[in-house]
Amino acid sequence: MKTLKIFLALVALSTGVANAQFTKAELQVSGLTCSMCSKATEKSLRTLGFIGDIKADLNRNVFVLTFKNNARVNLDQINKKVQGAGFSVSNLKATFNFANVKITDNQFNYGGENYRIVSPLNKMPEGLATFTVVNKGFAPASVYKKYSSAFAGDAKAGKVYHITI
Amino acid sequence: MKFIGLLAAAVLATANCLWAQELYVNTEPASNMATHSLGIRAENQGFFNPVFKNRSTLELMYGFSKHLMVHGSLYKSNFYQADQRVEGGSVYAKYRFLSVDSVQSHFRGAVFGKFSRINNGVYNQEINLEGDNSGYQAGLVFTKLAHKLAISGSASYLRALNNGAYHLIPGNARDAVGYTLSAGYLLFPKTYESYDQVNVNLYVELLGKTNPGYQQSYLDVAPAIQFIFDSVLRVDLSYRAPLYNNMIRNSNNMYLVRVEYNIFNLFN
Repeated sequence: MKTLKIFLALVALSTGVANAQFTKAELQVSGLTCSMCSKATEKSLRTLGFIGDIKADLNRNVFVLTFKNNARVNLDQINKKVQGAGFSVSNLKATFNFANVKITDNQFNYGGENYRIVSPLNKMPEGLATFTVVNKGFAPASVYKKYSSAFAGDAKAGKVYHITI
Repeated sequence: MKFIGLLAAAVLATANCLWAQELYVNTEPASNMATHSLGIRAENQGFFNPVFKNRSTLELMYGFSKHLMVHGSLYKSNFYQADQRVEGGSVYAKYRFLSVDSVQSHFRGAVFGKFSRINNGVYNQEINLEGDNSGYQAGLVFTKLAHKLAISGSASYLRALNNGAYHLIPGNARDAVGYTLSAGYLLFPKTYESYDQVNVNLYVELLGKTNPGYQQSYLDVAPAIQFIFDSVLRVDLSYRAPLYNNMIRNSNNMYLVRVEYNIFNLFN
């Protein structure tokens, strides 16, 4: 029985994770000035398995990423692909389904990674909501410095994304 | 020098009211290619006086990481004999150590090095690692792109080695200093709508070399036009002519025609 309970708990947990998911993200890239650079960046992003489609706004240097259903999205990998193409992420605004997400002390877990809401505090987003990542490497210096005091509260181990809603 | 100052000012003024580009034709910017991208270049340079002579270059470029890219080139020409023959090759590496990005602008810095192995007789005072001399080169390049203005400057040191059995001319310089200043701007499209739009870029580059202690130097101006098709195929046309020259080289005036094709994400 104990094994079955653990199994059921795991199923429930994984269902919860499946509900909590990213649907899309608006990614603004710094340093891009030519369509060749944009194409290299888009092609690089397309190699990520969790990305379903990409629409590029070449004038604003914005890529709208649509994620595959139930695929586990890793924001760091998006950042790595942009940097690999020779550029940097200037802004990443993700649309996330908060249904069944347990937020404790302004923190929640998704895909084994921690997310900390740094602004506004103690507000519980429900359903579909967008958030912006303000970690170093995801936002301009002025933005991540503004929220840098929140980094002190992070656990030593593992990645913690700082987000504003 | 006054003329160069005026020219630089004119370039800055023109570039200031348009979008900038840094895919320079006669120099390399501090920026690198995308990681795991392969660029294939076929190039022809030549002159018509006193007789038509030309050199073809096959160049492969690869982005190893966001910091490091490498080029490998093979040279073939009839500069030193009546018929075309393979002259040797070179390898070039560029390491980007500085990158300050914001939307539609950036400042980058890189160090670069080149080594060439050439099997030609040595007749020129110019030390040129693109087909004429065996040797090595090390330098620094900085590129500033600010939405409407792309300026790049480089300085390098060159050292000539004997071309195998062909020795350097006694009394000729073995060391040289190279310097470049490049500006580029995007002429078309005025507004980006898709990757299929043909890009037209205009460039003006100043290319200089000096043999320190020998009072030999030149400064060329090289205007260029560039077309980019489908965001992957690039066609470059350029012509270089001296603003100043007292150095013996193959020719003072040279045309350049180049086709470059880019393959993104060769390996993942």
